Amino acid sequence: MVSQNGIKYAVHIVSTNFGDLVAKVCECLLRRGPLTYQNIARSTEISLPQVKNCLLLLIQHNCVQAFSLEPAGDAADLSKPINTKYIALFDNIIHRTRFSKFIAVVSEELDKECVELFQGLLQHGRLSLKKMIDRAKSGRDDCAVEDTIRGNLAKLLDSRFVERCPAGEAVLSPPAEEGTGARKRGAKSSKIVAKSITIEERILDAAAPMEAKRFLFTTDADCKKTSENSSEVLGGEKRKYDSLESERETSADDSHVPWRVNFEEFLHRFRHKACVENVRERLDGGAAIALSAMLEATRSMEKKVKSDKTVPLSINTIYEEVMKKEAGRSMTLDHLRASLALLGCERGSNDLYMIDLKAIIKHAQTEEVEAIVLKRYGRDAYRIFRLLMKTGRLQETDKISGTAFVDKKETPKILYHLWKDEFLHMEKVIVTTPRQLQFLLWKVNRSTLWPHLLDEMYHTALNLCQRVAYELEQENEILNLPPHKRVGPLEERFTRLRNVRMLLDASLMRLDDALMLFHDF
Amino acid sequence: MNSMRMMKAVVRGGGPLPGVDQFALARVVEGSRNLICLPGMSKRKRPELAASGAALTEHEKTLYSLIRSKQDMGIWSKDLKQEAKIPDNAAMKALKSLISKGLVKEVVNVHFKARKHCMAAEFEPSAEITGGPWYNQGSLDTEFIDIMKDQCLRLICKLGVATVDMVADEIKRSRILKADYQVQQIGEIVKALALDNDIVEVKSTGIGEFASIQPGKSCYKCLRLPGASKEPSKVVAMASVPCGVCPHLRECTPGGIISPTTCDYFTKWLDF
Ligand code: SF4
Repeated sequence: MVSQNGIKYAVHIVSTNFGDLVAKVCECLLRRGPLTYQNIARSTEISLPQVKNCLLLLIQHNCVQAFSLEPAGDAADLSKPINTKYIALFDNIIHRTRFSKFIAVVSEELDKECVELFQGLLQHGRLSLKKMIDRAKSGRDDCAVEDTIRGNLAKLLDSRFVERCPAGEAVLSPPAEEGTGARKRGAKSSKIVAKSITIEERILDAAAPMEAKRFLFTTDADCKKTSENSSEVLGGEKRKYDSLESERETSADDSHVPWRVNFEEFLHRFRHKACVENVRERLDGGAAIALSAMLEATRSMEKKVKSDKTVPLSINTIYEEVMKKEAGRSMTLDHLRASLALLGCERGSNDLYMIDLKAIIKHAQTEEVEAIVLKRYGRDAYRIFRLLMKTGRLQETDKISGTAFVDKKETPKILYHLWKDEFLHMEKVIVTTPRQLQFLLWKVNRSTLWPHLLDEMYHTALNLCQRVAYELEQENEILNLPPHKRVGPLEERFTRLRNVRMLLDASLMRLDDALMLFHDF
Repeated sequence: MNSMRMMKAVVRGGGPLPGVDQFALARVVEGSRNLICLPGMSKRKRPELAASGAALTEHEKTLYSLIRSKQDMGIWSKDLKQEAKIPDNAAMKALKSLISKGLVKEVVNVHFKARKHCMAAEFEPSAEITGGPWYNQGSLDTEFIDIMKDQCLRLICKLGVATVDMVADEIKRSRILKADYQVQQIGEIVKALALDNDIVEVKSTGIGEFASIQPGKSCYKCLRLPGASKEPSKVVAMASVPCGVCPHLRECTPGGIISPTTCDYFTKWLDF
């Protein structure tokens, strides 16, 4: 469930990207969950054709996914109309603010032409090979351009920066162990599993292309074949309608298959980077090199973004990878061993090493939260909070005061303050013998605090965005001046605005790193 | 334990670590009479009762034996009067006299600083009443704790990696703090340093820099150099923007009374 401020932030992003009408449709979906488009029209009071256009746009930009339920029971009942519903993809909306980060990653690894192609995909949401070629040719009939594009797309796919688009409409099999039929006897574990898979995940799973096909692309296709088809009108609109209808994909001809940016790959990389940086700061450079090598060597094997542990590796494999990097060349095998030990490497069976990534992420999250406590409530509160974070158990007021070295009189006040602001959980214990005494016990409850803070982060991000917009609006006049007219006080105002923007943008970037840390990692 | 003795005990002895302000140390220690009330030291020699005993009135005798029966916990003067069943005025008078004869003393109860808390002179108040070794006159002796913390931080930085035992040994050996601190007390200070994030607890791996420490044992590494600023060097996301630490975040909405466009915190922050 997305938090209230998360929704507001997402709506703000959609509204600045695509305007208020689209934002209204998107908000309706975010707030109310999956809906048919008639229902969207009804609750937003926007006309049906307009809703349809908004949905098409959102689908084109991967912010909405269509799905329907496979009719239960007899397949014969085809007379019933299939109710297509739409669901907003919150994560993909937020990813829109990360495009510059994605581009930076691609630029580091691939050449300029690939980056351009990649930017085109970001800009258009989805593109088929044919459309990519058309864009590049811009009217010229040139087979060389076509080959380059094919080559570049292949490179992007090879690095997994791009993937095949999901099915236009996902078909969900009827919910066997969900909804009203959820009363499955006994099996507690199945309940937990069912609970942890959201409807959104099920839809995305159903829509995703087969893993084998996800990055598959035949590069040796005939240049002429695509040129022949180029007269066919396949404008944006047409393609968009296609994705709304059921997918018509001909495996013989890859040129109409739509491709899009693979956000997941970037999350993998950002998560790895966050882990390595945290280790570098907390432990040392050697540990960072070792971890980085392990992640690098196994990236393609990692199944999901939030994997708990690294893929097990032998020390020789790790060492080989370490040596590939300039910084690792001075490392001896003994040094590597010491670094792995420092990382708290678990040695599994067959002497293979793996690292608890989840623990590192948890650590990084904790640091962020503690920094907030320090800044908001001061050093005594910081020590108390860190103590409770570390013990993870309920602790009594006096005990806290003693261990954290905070005055007995001050401690209850600080604890109360933290509790009021939802940083702590409190329990009262009353002892009746020999006389009635009341004790207060405290602990940090991550399962409620983390979502609460994430919500505050979305709120903060939204505030920063709004302030940027406001500052730009205020100085609109100066921004429109030609540079030679910006003199004296006008120049000062211009410089100030530039500094303001730089600070706000940098803060927003950093805040977005924290959003990923708490939401995606 | 008398504070002068304590002060001497601390300041006397081996060479100071570089950068320690001995005067500050002396000044602070003087006020910290409770600091080294170690277990087993809490009982003073019993005052000579024989000299004054004969002169005690009935009321005084009743109060005195009641107070003494409370040992190192002492008793609140109001409870005392009630338990002794002596009229207010008479009780007050008797108590005053006991105090002036040096048989009874007033101590500060850390939980109720304003209350008059009485104890027989021969007892040292228990940790429950004083607040423990780190309290002085009912308040946490933060100045002294800071000095202790600083000393421990210096030692850990010097040693590179250290266990609590190593820190305690080093303190004993260098004789900067002459009073005998128990390993447990040094441990408390070290733990507080870890809570401050000035040092970090790591488990010894037994190799590399941990070669001298048994594998698996808890030890500490320096994160902040002594004397360096306590402000965290790490750039964090939320805590570095106004909204991240703003008390009005919940009420702040665009177009509202408190809003990001009209907010003063922002205006100050963006004042280039
Ligand atoms: S915009 Fe200003 S008032 Fe609103 S939360 Fe941020 S700092 Fe506080």
